[in-house]
Amino acid sequence: MDAKIETPVGERSKLSVRNLNFFYGSFHALKNINLDIPENKVTAFIGPSGCGKSTLLRTLNRMFELYPEQRAEGQILLDGEDVLASKDDVSLIRAKIGMVFQKPTPFPMSIYDNIAFGVKLFETLPRVEMDERVEWALKKAALWGEVKDKLNQSGSGLSGGQQQRLCIARGIAIKPEVLLLDEPCSALDPISTGKIEELIHELKSDYTVAIVTHNMQQAARCSDYTAYMYLGDLIEFGPTAELFMKPKRKDTEDYITGRFG
Amino acid sequence: MNSALDVRRLAMHKKRKRTNVIALALSLGAMGFGVFWLVWILFETIYLGIGGLTLATFTEMTPPPQGEGGGLANAIFGSFVMVGLATLIGTPIGILAGVYLAEYGQKTWLGGAVRFINDILLSAPSIVVGLFVYAMVVAKLKSFSGMAGALALALLVIPVVIRTTENMLSLVPNALREAAYALGTPKWKVIMTITLKAARAGVLTGILLALARVSGETAPLLFTALSNQFWTSDISAPMASLPVTIFKFAMSPYENWQKLAWAGVFLITMGVLLLNIVARVLFKNKH
Amino acid sequence: MVDKHLSTQFDAELSGISTRVLEMGGLVEAQVAQAVQALVDFSPESADEVLAKEGRVNTMEIEIDRDLSTIIARRQPTARDLRLLIAISKSIANLERVGDEAARIARTVQRLVASGVSSRMRVPMSDLSFEAELATAQLRKSLDAFARLDVERALDVLKHDDEIDKEFDGLLRKLITYMMEDPRTISSSIDLVFVAKAIERVGDHAKNLAEVVIYVVKGQDVRHNTPEAVETMVR
Repeated sequence: MDAKIETPVGERSKLSVRNLNFFYGSFHALKNINLDIPENKVTAFIGPSGCGKSTLLRTLNRMFELYPEQRAEGQILLDGEDVLASKDDVSLIRAKIGMVFQKPTPFPMSIYDNIAFGVKLFETLPRVEMDERVEWALKKAALWGEVKDKLNQSGSGLSGGQQQRLCIARGIAIKPEVLLLDEPCSALDPISTGKIEELIHELKSDYTVAIVTHNMQQAARCSDYTAYMYLGDLIEFGPTAELFMKPKRKDTEDYITGRFG
Repeated sequence: MNSALDVRRLAMHKKRKRTNVIALALSLGAMGFGVFWLVWILFETIYLGIGGLTLATFTEMTPPPQGEGGGLANAIFGSFVMVGLATLIGTPIGILAGVYLAEYGQKTWLGGAVRFINDILLSAPSIVVGLFVYAMVVAKLKSFSGMAGALALALLVIPVVIRTTENMLSLVPNALREAAYALGTPKWKVIMTITLKAARAGVLTGILLALARVSGETAPLLFTALSNQFWTSDISAPMASLPVTIFKFAMSPYENWQKLAWAGVFLITMGVLLLNIVARVLFKNKH
Repeated sequence: MVDKHLSTQFDAELSGISTRVLEMGGLVEAQVAQAVQALVDFSPESADEVLAKEGRVNTMEIEIDRDLSTIIARRQPTARDLRLLIAISKSIANLERVGDEAARIARTVQRLVASGVSSRMRVPMSDLSFEAELATAQLRKSLDAFARLDVERALDVLKHDDEIDKEFDGLLRKLITYMMEDPRTISSSIDLVFVAKAIERVGDHAKNLAEVVIYVVKGQDVRHNTPEAVETMVR
């Protein structure tokens, strides 16, 4: 795989991945990935199971460090600064690069405390300001109307779609710059999925969003740029409309038209 | 429809139904057998124990043999103190060790060793623990004491709490931890405010169960706290406890002592029953 | 399609609809040929046959369009498949209009025969036949290009489109001369101008079909460009 760097034209690059290689023990999971994730746009990662898209996402905020047998080599530049090599406490990096996972995971506390939890890690706010921040985050996540009268109730009492929006609100509350979404809608019904896709569209004006999805139509609907990965390689990366109408590589076309054999 | 197939199906169904009835009857019978003995024990306990239960049981000290009146006040108090102390000492140690095993030592050699030793301690005969404390504390200090008793009981509390804490923490889904890490939470905070909180019902249940276990232990107290006819709140001196008192009184030929023994049995049984019920209710509500 | 989808049903639907398009193409090609022959032979019976089959052409357009919408709704096609379906939609619109042109020619024949024009009237038959042959050849070539998704063939059609235009210009000049010489022939000559125009439009529709083929294969919209410009775009 040639180390050609995939750079969107005319966009400012928020996260630049350079020569990224990733290993699970001795298994070479990501092979020399080079791409630029553009600022304030939604970039989708698609590909068959095991292609490395989730692995790539979890490298961006160094989640892999929780597991000793996983390691990454290469560079990940956030606004020019290398995230992987940084000596800063990893918490500071995760304050800037937030993540929402496939399974909604409300913390075992009230809705209010769920949102405030992350904020309290980095800021000391007086009660009034914290209330405002919680309200702001819940409004941004399109959840305020449904929970404003039950902020003190446990987060586990919400429906699946609401819980996922709670997790998104929780991630937004700390005001990150990048939002990583790892198959955020796989566990949800179509209506909840639709609401979250709407949400993603609104979020991109303030955040850079990267989303991993195994649902190609969702990638086509939601994203501005799409990256197609296969067996650890980045096969193609480009504007979504182009990739889905006129992909440059036959491999990509075979995948998106369902000619995969 | 194929009628030959139907006939075969019906025959098989009848055979299966018969087997089902037999198996069901056998299991109900076995259950009934077990429940019968349990109910009988409870019944006897209540019948014999309640007879000897008066207000005096809670207010007066253990009487001399063949004396009139008397109660179990010092024994009850002694049990409370020693079991309470044991829990106070054992719980923090148990929880912290459980946290280590579940969050830090899943694959380390130290974690494996601790787990192995803990399993042994869990099933260690309580008399062995009692003798150990006797040799280490009582013999060295040359005196029996309530403190030694509490220590022996603590050594029985710790393995239970470690085991349940580790199990309950392991049940917390990793996704929850990852969500906390992704926000930038440091590890200790993830454990304290997220993982432990998520597992709190189970951990508390574990503590209650440990409590229930040690409140009925007799052997370790025999060599450590001994017993005391009189009221004492000095833990550096021998202390009375319900199990030991029951032991002493039940084996005696004196009727008033035997009556009090049954009252003590009743109290312990009810106490343990109550603790188990509370533990169950707690766990059920959270899940 | 050369390589198969995971869904054999989808493959079957795509090849089924492509075949029907070619069927429709064959039908309208025959319609044009027969209509022009009807004119050459002054045969009202032939003209009637053409008009009878016109209904079939229109039905085919509606049926294929309906199936097209169903496929798009159900399969959410992308890339090449999507371009093909868009191409089919445009193609059948063009083919239906070719059918219309054939019908127009047939109606003209009926009118001419009804108004008593005899073969002694000066009609540039050979020129008309030649123009028609060019047009039907273009149509056949573009349908062939569609069947094989052959860009070279499509480019060929685009290059030869000029010839039909030149033929039409020649025919127009001839008919104007006839009209100036003998004012009694004005009415029928004007009818013939319309016939020639109809044939020229068939050529245009063939050109549209060729452009659509390039869109399917290359993903480029080459409409409204000169043939030379298109060739540069495609290479």
